[in-house]
Amino acid sequence: MADVELRSVSYSFNGRIALEDVSFELDSPFFCAVMGPNGAGKTTLLKVMLGLLKPQRGSVRIFGHDAVREANAVRRLVGYVPQIVNVDIHVPMTVEEVVAMGALSRDLPPRFMTRDIRRRVEEVLKLVELDEPSALFQELSGGLRQRALIARALIGEPRLLLLDEPYSMLDFDMKCEISELLYRLHKERGVDILLVAHELSPCIHLEPIVVLLNKRVYAVGRAGEVLTIENLRKAYPGLTEVPAGFILGEDHG
Amino acid sequence: MIDLLILIYLSAAAGGLLVGSISLPLILSRGTLFALTMTHSVLGGAILGVYLNAVLGLGIPIPVTAFLTALILSILVAELSGRVFSEDVAIALVVSIATTITVVFSYLVVQVSSTGLAQAWLYVAGSSAIATSEDLQKMLSALVVVAPLMHLITRELKYIAFDLDGAIAMGLNVRVYRYLFFGLSALATSILASSIGILATHILLAVPGALAVKLARRAPYLLSYLSAIGLTLGGFLISQLLRIPPSGGIGILSAFAILGMVVKREQA
Repeated sequence: MADVELRSVSYSFNGRIALEDVSFELDSPFFCAVMGPNGAGKTTLLKVMLGLLKPQRGSVRIFGHDAVREANAVRRLVGYVPQIVNVDIHVPMTVEEVVAMGALSRDLPPRFMTRDIRRRVEEVLKLVELDEPSALFQELSGGLRQRALIARALIGEPRLLLLDEPYSMLDFDMKCEISELLYRLHKERGVDILLVAHELSPCIHLEPIVVLLNKRVYAVGRAGEVLTIENLRKAYPGLTEVPAGFILGEDHG
Repeated sequence: MIDLLILIYLSAAAGGLLVGSISLPLILSRGTLFALTMTHSVLGGAILGVYLNAVLGLGIPIPVTAFLTALILSILVAELSGRVFSEDVAIALVVSIATTITVVFSYLVVQVSSTGLAQAWLYVAGSSAIATSEDLQKMLSALVVVAPLMHLITRELKYIAFDLDGAIAMGLNVRVYRYLFFGLSALATSILASSIGILATHILLAVPGALAVKLARRAPYLLSYLSAIGLTLGGFLISQLLRIPPSGGIGILSAFAILGMVVKREQA
């Protein structure tokens, strides 16, 4: 049995198909990027893997646990980094509070900030190279916010990190820095990475396993094998070829 | 006379503490629109209670019907939001239900009781500036239940407001925290409305929390409590000086507090 295993997963919202017969397997250690256009079902895929959404058909197993029936076991093994636009930055929280959320939420109530939690927060902030625990989250730059959210996921010592559009709202240099950070975590700490993005240029040099998704899985494998013009034509219906290469459509890199 | 004044200001201070304990979590969890549901529901429930007592002679304490109505309607908001409607639409619909209850039962209560509408009006403007020892007891009893529990769940409410999916993914039982919050808010609001009126309660629910979030980087709860006590005590003082209901005094003071916040923000 593979460490991450999706079998014929289908999910639809009010009759609109988000995922259709999605199957793929990943064996640890892996650094995987799920690529697809907007509306391809990438976020839905992550939510199905976390057990936040129950697929209408098929099954998801993460490290041997069923994502629906054993959601709590899965969530103990998985760290989740949401899309930055889905976080309400107007809620006044310091970096320390945001990161501590990752540890405290896993404890039983009442939840208090103990010395041990503070020490763990410091450790993970060091790991993601962020040294402003008392800064308000809303005052951080996009890249630092992403680092704080990654730290929040890491503090629970997950085996797998699921990241939803970690490159959104960042400039290219910052996207590359986030890629390097994730790759370092993968190599040095053995954390498996599965990120979803509509562009892979910031991490393509790290040779991720690529899953090409647009509601269905069109290809799985190394970037060189998957990102062929034939596969991209299937997954990106709006693809336009130009002499220097091809355009995937607005905001797809 | 002095005893009465002490009682009034003790009740105001207890009301302030009660407000301070729910205002900050309300603002932190981005629930100011939800406060609208709560106050409209409490008013509807209070008038429903007045009507039921007048018709059936049940003698149900009005804060009980107000609390139950607010609890049921806030749970309705929670169940409708996200599943059927967006949160603002769900709140608007539930507020319209609460307002309909208020209008219909205000009309009906006039038909069956000559004092019913006056009794109901107390829930709108507050029971003048005169407090009773019963008011103080109610406030203190609610405070003992609401304040410690609110402190225990504020962190979780903040997490849920910050990142709902993340909170669920990390194992927080969002439904339990939301319903606990609704229950405590409904209890505090119905007790406050029975003493200082729904208008003053409505003003007080938002202002101390907003002041605390804007002005206090550290210990916002302390500022929420202090500003809520300041608003209720100062509001009662103004209401006595100007011979207006307490809600008027609290409203005037709150308006100045909001203006002060705007000026400070502009200067920053």
